[in-house]
Amino acid sequence: MNATKLAKSSAVGTAVLERTFRQKILTPALIGICFLLLILENISSRPIKFFKSLINDVITYSAFIINLPINFTTGTTKSFLETLNFNIHQENKILKDQINKLISEKNELLFFKNENDNLKKTLGIRNQGEYAALLVKVIKEDTSEFGKSFSISKGSSENIDIGQPVVRNNVYLGRIAEVNLLSSKVMIVTDAGSRIPIIIPSKGVNAILKGNGYSSAELLFLPPSTSLDNNDQIYTSGTDGIIKEGLYVGKVIVKEDKNKKKNYSIDLGYKEHQLNYVSVLKLKR
Amino acid sequence: MRNFFEKLRFYIPHLLILLVIANDSLLINTWIAPGPIINLKYILLFYFCFYQPDRISVISLFFLGLVFDSLQCTPFGMTSLCFIVVSKLIYFLKKRRTRANFQNEFISFGIVLVTIQILASIIFYYFSKSSLEYSLIIVNTILTLALYPLLRYILQFFCRYQI
Repeated sequence: MNATKLAKSSAVGTAVLERTFRQKILTPALIGICFLLLILENISSRPIKFFKSLINDVITYSAFIINLPINFTTGTTKSFLETLNFNIHQENKILKDQINKLISEKNELLFFKNENDNLKKTLGIRNQGEYAALLVKVIKEDTSEFGKSFSISKGSSENIDIGQPVVRNNVYLGRIAEVNLLSSKVMIVTDAGSRIPIIIPSKGVNAILKGNGYSSAELLFLPPSTSLDNNDQIYTSGTDGIIKEGLYVGKVIVKEDKNKKKNYSIDLGYKEHQLNYVSVLKLKR
Repeated sequence: MRNFFEKLRFYIPHLLILLVIANDSLLINTWIAPGPIINLKYILLFYFCFYQPDRISVISLFFLGLVFDSLQCTPFGMTSLCFIVVSKLIYFLKKRRTRANFQNEFISFGIVLVTIQILASIIFYYFSKSSLEYSLIIVNTILTLALYPLLRYILQFFCRYQI
């Protein structure tokens, strides 16, 4: 009888064998697999990409299912609190007024749009490519010290590609960072790795908007002589040729310190963690 | 039925860590704090590896890490590697420190957390195309360390009566 068979014959022997297996074979093997996975990450091979997309899809949708009870509980509590709103009639009246105001502003906007198109035609300026919006559902939001992102319910099967802008009501939210078969990951504008070219039309200034990793962003490469004011609107400039120009990003908030030096912060045009549906803008070909 | 509940009880640490990984952004990081400033998963992992090392196997740590990598868009294998190193480091530190008191435990947690953040940052720097925000990692490490005593107390309370 050899040593292994002898060890297996008693409970203590089995435990010792198991521990030896775990320490000497399993842990180094798993560490080896981790390194292998990390190396494969940078190899752009089609089968590897497909396999990774498949795993990502399974995990994303599993996480969505795991989160369903929590989301349901949160949603029910929210709607219950909303039903307890006793000022509903007054709120309705205010909303109706706002709708009327918005309709009139929209009509005015249409007039200016037509005028702008005619002027462009006269001057011979060609429009940037036209975009088609694809409505998608937000499956899950993820935040960690390494990135801020959310998953959406459409992937490469719907011709979604890396870099495409994601908006909600024409407000820029982020861009596609990873595409799987049935889902995609969107890098939010507040992610520390996010950089987008922007324009502040009221001042005629171009700059880069960089996410700070929390829930805001900061302006980079502002010309030194620039002086911004409160509520200056920020739009995407489209100079990178990927993100559509004219998407609303947010507005400037100015704070002055003791030495009257202006510090700028950005009030983004959307509220985090309240996104249900968003649109992916795809360039029409 | 009893057997089922016993099995469920055994896997509570796995479920808890999985829930935290799947809901990291829903918990403290969004409802209480403005960003990713607390690392709940490392606190849970340290606690269970320190007090109940036989309940979490290396294989489960590997798969939990893969789930996290997939959800967070980090390079595949990064968190798995970190989790396995955490468990081995805790085992090593526990063996070295013979006197079991809170002070020693807290120092061990600090060593583990700093090591893991440095390891994760190095892997992320070399294997990811995104850029790193070092201030965010430093804030995350300090606040996670500061929150450990409170969460340890809560976990001990639940472990005494539930798990």
